[in-house]
Amino acid sequence: MPFFQNLSNAVVLGSTYILMAVGLSMVYGVLKILHIAHAAVYTVGAFIGLLVFTWFESFWLALLVAMIASGVMGVLIYRGVYFYMLDAPRTVPLIASIGLFVMFTDLLQKGFLMGPYQQALPAGGAGLPSFQTGLFSLTSKQILVLLVTLVLLVVVYLLLTRTRVGLGWQAAAMDREMAGAVGVDLNRVVALNFFLGSALAGAAGVLVGVYNNSVFATMGDLPSYKAFIIIVLGGMGSLPGTIVASLLLALVENFLVASVGYVLPRDAIAFLVLILMLMFRPHGLLGQE
Amino acid sequence: MKRNIGLLLVLLLAFGLLAAQCAPSAQPQAAEGPIKIGFFSPTTGFAAADGTSALQSAQLAVSMINDAGGVLGRPLELVYYDDAAKPDQASAIARKLIEQDKVVAGVSGSYSGATRAAAPIFQEAGIPMVSAYAIHPEITATGDKIFRVGTLATVQGRVGAELMGNVLGAKRVAILTIDNDFGVSLTDGFKAHAQELGLEIVLEEKYPLGETEFRPIIGKIKEAAPDAVYATGYYNEAANLVSQAVDEGLEVQIVGQEGYDSPKFIELAGPAAEGVIITTDLNRDSERAATKLFLEQYKATYEEEADMVGASAYDAVHVLAQAIEAAGSTDPSAITAAIAGLKDFEDVASGPFWYYTAKREVVRPVSAQIVKGGAFHLFHEFEDVALVEAK
Repeated sequence: MPFFQNLSNAVVLGSTYILMAVGLSMVYGVLKILHIAHAAVYTVGAFIGLLVFTWFESFWLALLVAMIASGVMGVLIYRGVYFYMLDAPRTVPLIASIGLFVMFTDLLQKGFLMGPYQQALPAGGAGLPSFQTGLFSLTSKQILVLLVTLVLLVVVYLLLTRTRVGLGWQAAAMDREMAGAVGVDLNRVVALNFFLGSALAGAAGVLVGVYNNSVFATMGDLPSYKAFIIIVLGGMGSLPGTIVASLLLALVENFLVASVGYVLPRDAIAFLVLILMLMFRPHGLLGQE
Repeated sequence: MKRNIGLLLVLLLAFGLLAAQCAPSAQPQAAEGPIKIGFFSPTTGFAAADGTSALQSAQLAVSMINDAGGVLGRPLELVYYDDAAKPDQASAIARKLIEQDKVVAGVSGSYSGATRAAAPIFQEAGIPMVSAYAIHPEITATGDKIFRVGTLATVQGRVGAELMGNVLGAKRVAILTIDNDFGVSLTDGFKAHAQELGLEIVLEEKYPLGETEFRPIIGKIKEAAPDAVYATGYYNEAANLVSQAVDEGLEVQIVGQEGYDSPKFIELAGPAAEGVIITTDLNRDSERAATKLFLEQYKATYEEEADMVGASAYDAVHVLAQAIEAAGSTDPSAITAAIAGLKDFEDVASGPFWYYTAKREVVRPVSAQIVKGGAFHLFHEFEDVALVEAK
């Protein structure tokens, strides 16, 4: 029954969107910066995961190292670049961010880093089993994507709702200045926010690399704009909205292709959904008016 | 400020006049020193893998020719630029190669879009150009100076249909086309011959360049239950397609074409690549000395396996070198005539090149290769001129 197969495939695809977009949504929530370079963090995460996997042949170690390295990279981008632009008009960090993204992509494409070729990341399903019912089947790789996404989302949820710094993040996302005035350590909150969001992007990079068995310097091009479509759909800065929008977009893309074929490239479908949303519900699915 | 700009313009004009007077006479290139051949390929951007492979192979050809004494007793020099597979850059590069570098001939190591943009500029300047692996029909249709080394897309599509219908014995086929110049012209050739052979096309779909998620379309193919799938695309799309086909339990023969022809396809697809058959210009199991020489030299020089794209660029340089030698001069018209008159040319990796048609398409065998044990091997060789000659 292809309906359930398409459904399960779409949920897996949506999971890869979730990890990428939630991190971006977190950054937007606090600083209101359109952080295009988030996609560069994703690519660097995938690249570091590839290196670690090549040396140690362990998916879990690759994922862990890639997440930490991506998190550090995110914090460095914040402290080294955005920090000096917090009071500037919002186009300033946006342009800096585009510059960073292009720079990292071009740098990664150099021969001494990744070169122009796609590299295989043959981690398979990291030893997980595959799953089959009469209605649909999941490969071990797909189970890996679902499992890692679910675990990371639970961790992020607990961090943001059960810890002091998480509550500080929520306060800062509502009103940064007011949160600072009542004693939230904004620097710490923002740095943690970048670390966490970027670590998720790194995890997304590694997972997509394993899922498609391919890591390459320009793999961030697509998520660089697709993640934005998702956070606008979800309601800028709303984390539940981002999750719902990721799944919804993947469902629309897959079912449209499966039913009528490629009337439009999948990315064009995403933009179409975005335009419809902006016309009829400009504050997004779960955003506040 | 205005005055400064005026002054600048006057200065520029003065320099321009001076330069024009100092420039040598109409002679395109000095009779001494190296013979310059222009080259462009995408060494950055999405097509960088193919562009790098093409450039390295062209450089290999030039150094091998020079080691053997050059052409007309003079060394060859490859003047090359990166076009990033973009038409606007390719046309600017074509002008630069012709006007500034004064090349006697050009090679395109780029994709169809960029090659189509450069071709009219070479044609107007009267400088011959050879397209290595860009296989869109419009390229050679530009004019009498534009030749091709790769097999025309429509011919390769026709061979794909022949392979499916007469060699594999398929009756019901599904077609999956990458939605660009390359894929559409291959599919055109395939469908025309499929109709002649009476193959039933049970499903036809197009997908965009760079697609990574083929699962929904694989579901549709499964429902249509064809005997075989003809799928155009490049190595990265192909790797995702065949891997996901295995994941989704699609157990039919997938037939590809030269877009798959890269060691990267096998690396990315892993075991899922086994049994995939493609049509291509490079026969890796060939016993021909020229093919073996290229494969060995490429591996020795760059420490990686050669591919079809590289072989085509290597061959394009050899075609030009042979034509210049045969013409006995570096005059562009003489070179053009010599390419057109090429017969049974053996010194090419993807040859032999039997002859050029009046429409400047090379007639040569087309190979079907199957992936076995993690490498491409010969499956079938198509040598019937009626099949492989462009109509």
